[in-house]
Amino acid sequence: MGWFKLDPITRRRFARFRRIKRGYYSLIILLVAIVLSIFAPYLAESRALLVVYKGETHFPTFTYFNMAFFNQTPPPGWLAEDLETDYLRLQREWRFEHEQYAREITQPGIDPAAVVANYPNRDNKVVMPLIPWDPFQSDFWYTEVLNDVQARLNAGDRTGASLLARRDNLDEIADLIDTGEIDKLLADPERAPGGTLRNLAMAGTLKSIAHLAKPAPNAPDSEREHFLGTDTQGRDVASRLLYGFRISIFFSLILVFIGQVVGTFIGALQGYFGGRFDIVSQRLIEIIVSIPFLYVVIILAALMVPSLWMLLGIMALFQWITITFYMRTEMYREKTREYCLAAKSYGASHTRIIFRHLLPNCLTPLVTFTPFLIVGAIFSLTALDYLGYGLPPPTPSWGEMIDQALDANNRDKLWLTLAPFTAITLTLLVVTFIGESVREAFDPKQYARYE
Amino acid sequence: MRTLFHALLVIVALVHAPAFAQSDADPKKLVTEAAPVALPPDIVWETNDSAPLIGSEKAIRGGRFTVAIGAYPLTFRLVGPNSNDFFSAWNRTFALMDKHGGLVAQHPTTDEFIPMLATHWSIQKDQRTIFLKLDRDAKFNDGKPVTANDYVFTWRLMQSKFILDPFYNSYAEQYLTSVDRVDDYTLRIVGTRASWRPLYDYAGLWPTAMHASPAVDKDWVNNTTNVPQVVPGPYVVSDMRRGESITFKRVPNWWGDKKRYFKGLYNFDEIHLRVMPVEREIDYLRRGEIDVTTVGSKMWYEGLDVPEVRNGWVHKARMWVDTPKGLLGMQMNLQAPIFQNRDFRIAMHYLFNYDRVNRNLFYGETYRKNSFFDGTIYADPEVKARPFDPAKAREYLAKAGYHRPADIGGSGFFAALKRTVQGLIFTRSDADDILVNDKGEPATFTMIHYSKNLEAALTVIQQDFRRAGVDLRIQLLEPGAAFQRMLERKFEMSFLAMGASYYPDPRQYLHTYFKTEKNNNNFWGYGTKEVDDDIQIYEENLDADARMKAMHGIDRAVHDEAFYIPFWDIKFMRIVYWDYLQFPETYLPKRSEDVTDWLVQWIDPAKKAAVEEAKRAGKAYPVDPELDKDFYGIRQKTQ
Repeated sequence: MGWFKLDPITRRRFARFRRIKRGYYSLIILLVAIVLSIFAPYLAESRALLVVYKGETHFPTFTYFNMAFFNQTPPPGWLAEDLETDYLRLQREWRFEHEQYAREITQPGIDPAAVVANYPNRDNKVVMPLIPWDPFQSDFWYTEVLNDVQARLNAGDRTGASLLARRDNLDEIADLIDTGEIDKLLADPERAPGGTLRNLAMAGTLKSIAHLAKPAPNAPDSEREHFLGTDTQGRDVASRLLYGFRISIFFSLILVFIGQVVGTFIGALQGYFGGRFDIVSQRLIEIIVSIPFLYVVIILAALMVPSLWMLLGIMALFQWITITFYMRTEMYREKTREYCLAAKSYGASHTRIIFRHLLPNCLTPLVTFTPFLIVGAIFSLTALDYLGYGLPPPTPSWGEMIDQALDANNRDKLWLTLAPFTAITLTLLVVTFIGESVREAFDPKQYARYE
Repeated sequence: MRTLFHALLVIVALVHAPAFAQSDADPKKLVTEAAPVALPPDIVWETNDSAPLIGSEKAIRGGRFTVAIGAYPLTFRLVGPNSNDFFSAWNRTFALMDKHGGLVAQHPTTDEFIPMLATHWSIQKDQRTIFLKLDRDAKFNDGKPVTANDYVFTWRLMQSKFILDPFYNSYAEQYLTSVDRVDDYTLRIVGTRASWRPLYDYAGLWPTAMHASPAVDKDWVNNTTNVPQVVPGPYVVSDMRRGESITFKRVPNWWGDKKRYFKGLYNFDEIHLRVMPVEREIDYLRRGEIDVTTVGSKMWYEGLDVPEVRNGWVHKARMWVDTPKGLLGMQMNLQAPIFQNRDFRIAMHYLFNYDRVNRNLFYGETYRKNSFFDGTIYADPEVKARPFDPAKAREYLAKAGYHRPADIGGSGFFAALKRTVQGLIFTRSDADDILVNDKGEPATFTMIHYSKNLEAALTVIQQDFRRAGVDLRIQLLEPGAAFQRMLERKFEMSFLAMGASYYPDPRQYLHTYFKTEKNNNNFWGYGTKEVDDDIQIYEENLDADARMKAMHGIDRAVHDEAFYIPFWDIKFMRIVYWDYLQFPETYLPKRSEDVTDWLVQWIDPAKKAAVEEAKRAGKAYPVDPELDKDFYGIRQKTQ
């Protein structure tokens, strides 16, 4: 940046910013969060980080492996070649197989060779990310698992039913099936009206399965690794929160960047040239300002499917305006200063005067406004998503999460409310802190300290 | 009727509004100056006094009934702008309009015609001329009798361009040739063509009080907007609070009280409609501020474990009804390039995982619609919706020429690097495992819909399409815009729910005439010679069996062409009501569209006092264990 050198005042301002701890640490937190969110596929993803299969290691995070590859049984109706591996289930299956194997091999009087042959997957391993869910998949385990166990019971496969229940940590059900007591329970219309496991759970007869058979949203459940629960479609809230952050923050960074560059350029030209150009362009800007932004988006959303880039484009059309006003006035002020006149008298070109001499001295509004514009951009995207005219489903988005949380049907589902609201509050707070500190650091009236 | 989704909008569309010749003459003059027509000498009058009562004879008159309404009425007018809003159902009930029997009514349980404002009718041999004898006791609520001129005036009003109502303009032109007075209490209606259901087609008029109507000119709409109508119904407005509530009082000694089919209806002395948001109704009900409400499935299963219900003061019940149902499901535009291939369309059917949605989002309480006419009497019982079957879908997709792209799961360092960078910048849904056809076109299309509440179900459906390599995109539109796109056929797939009447009208949906034209209800751009012939048979043939056969043929043809994926249906209303609100032993008439549709309920004053007392003392009632109130045995038929 030799051409665009920071003057000593600006350098001093950055030093001052570093001294305002609240803003400085907020910036660090935000940067860490942004970097982490780039690597979201390693943090929250239904694809495993690493699979050890038959002694070979695979990294499926960015590679597609179908079920046939790991010899996984597909759900009924599907072909193993057609479906992607369900890694979480694979992990449970292999882990369970390993436990079974470990238990049997230690029993006295057993042929080790037969046991080994029974459990071919005992040494395979799956390592899942911290949050083993991607933001798109619905987890209907809560409503389906009892049906699956029931289906095996009905087919007379008691061992299969018991094993399935045990694999999914429903030990109480498995014990009841092993001892045969399940029949008595199911025959009791008081405790299981209709005689199904689902109704048994619905009636609340067994404490350990009382949370099952309830449709999504399901409460936070560390066993199923939904650390913040699931949303109305059974999708993991934590995962959606993370990917929602990634989209919002990058969206607003790109948007504000475009807006600031364009706005600065136009504002600088207005201020520098002034006169008729200024008057005409100001009137044009007033026309654009008077267009209701939200309606434009809703109308455009009716004409074409909104995508990330389209929304970015539309919002950028309105984003650049704010900064032009400030750059224009700064330019008006600075261009009358002696150093500018000096540059002119040396015969410097307009470009050189604007970019080399004037702009570095007009940075204050640009820098101080940027964090608040980022806040505004995050907010706009969230608001659009909340209204349903933002990014198309199933894109993870905070606005959509808030919409679910505010649904009258979900008013007792605290996790739906807390997660997006905390995330939004924290993000906006952190960015606002940065903004305030920047403003403080760039404040020409230094005695009005803000610490 | 608020079905599974509260805000699900049932758009009742109208056939293209015609521009027709219209005289500006004063309709009142046209009515009074017209010469009466003569009665044929050999006329045979028919009536029906053997149908069961709609209400209950045990009903007790009295009390004040409070219910919620979604928005304050924009108008009291029965026709014209805004006359089809939240309030219209009430307005039409009070005006004895449409199904409530402006002349005759179809019995809401047995479907036979019963006398209401007309006591007798006579259908002539031409199957298009009807004579009707009006009830001489019938009076408007200002005390003036209802006469034949008031019906002729309604017909004239329907034709007027000043009412700004293309639906009735079009109805009057398409259905009615003339409406004439024979004498003050006898009416003649001539339909446009012979019909096997002339009462249904042509006797849908209601009386408009000509003596109380302002001049029909360009100010007519404004002059009638906020003026309560003079109607022959049992209630008059007694109090209006703009934006808050509106109260109706019963007419003292209402003329209908002596009539057989009004017995047990309109039992309340006062009806109080309170404006409130739909999602707050349950809170108001618990506080005793409204008497009855309907709730969605989530509230029903998880939100009603509250003291009022546990103590038995408030009951919850699923009341089973069998209302005619229209289309509900996904529509494919046959003129969109991607849906030209029938095999591809069939694959879409097999990828539609209805059970997964039903079990996991709808509490397993809906049932699958099977065919185009499902929900009406004309559904072909042998046509069954295609079940979820990914293997079959795969077969049909292959037949349509779609296959997995070659480089899926490709190996090599650079491929892996490319995927990693892509994955880090975009989310994984941008990965490239979408099926392509031989021309390299991906299996990608957009479904438009208009209800945010549907989004949960649609995204779950989307997941199974995605797993099979079909990229279904979902786009929410504002309802008007969505419907416009469908009318203009500018869509690929759309979710659509349509209202229905007792007799379906396939012509507006499926006739070749509308295939190339736009702005009509043939959303798919469908039409074949065979279906046209069947529609002709259905509309004109006097033989009921031939008609049924033709309709079954249409049902089968729509199934074979596979442009409509039927979704769910439910045949009950989830009703929450206070213990003192009583229902007849039939609960609701079979064809009810809403709990207050026919106003068969009444308030038992003794029970009301007892509930008040119990609430004060905290005394619990035994809870009614029977949740399903299914007098007609509809539940079994659906399973």
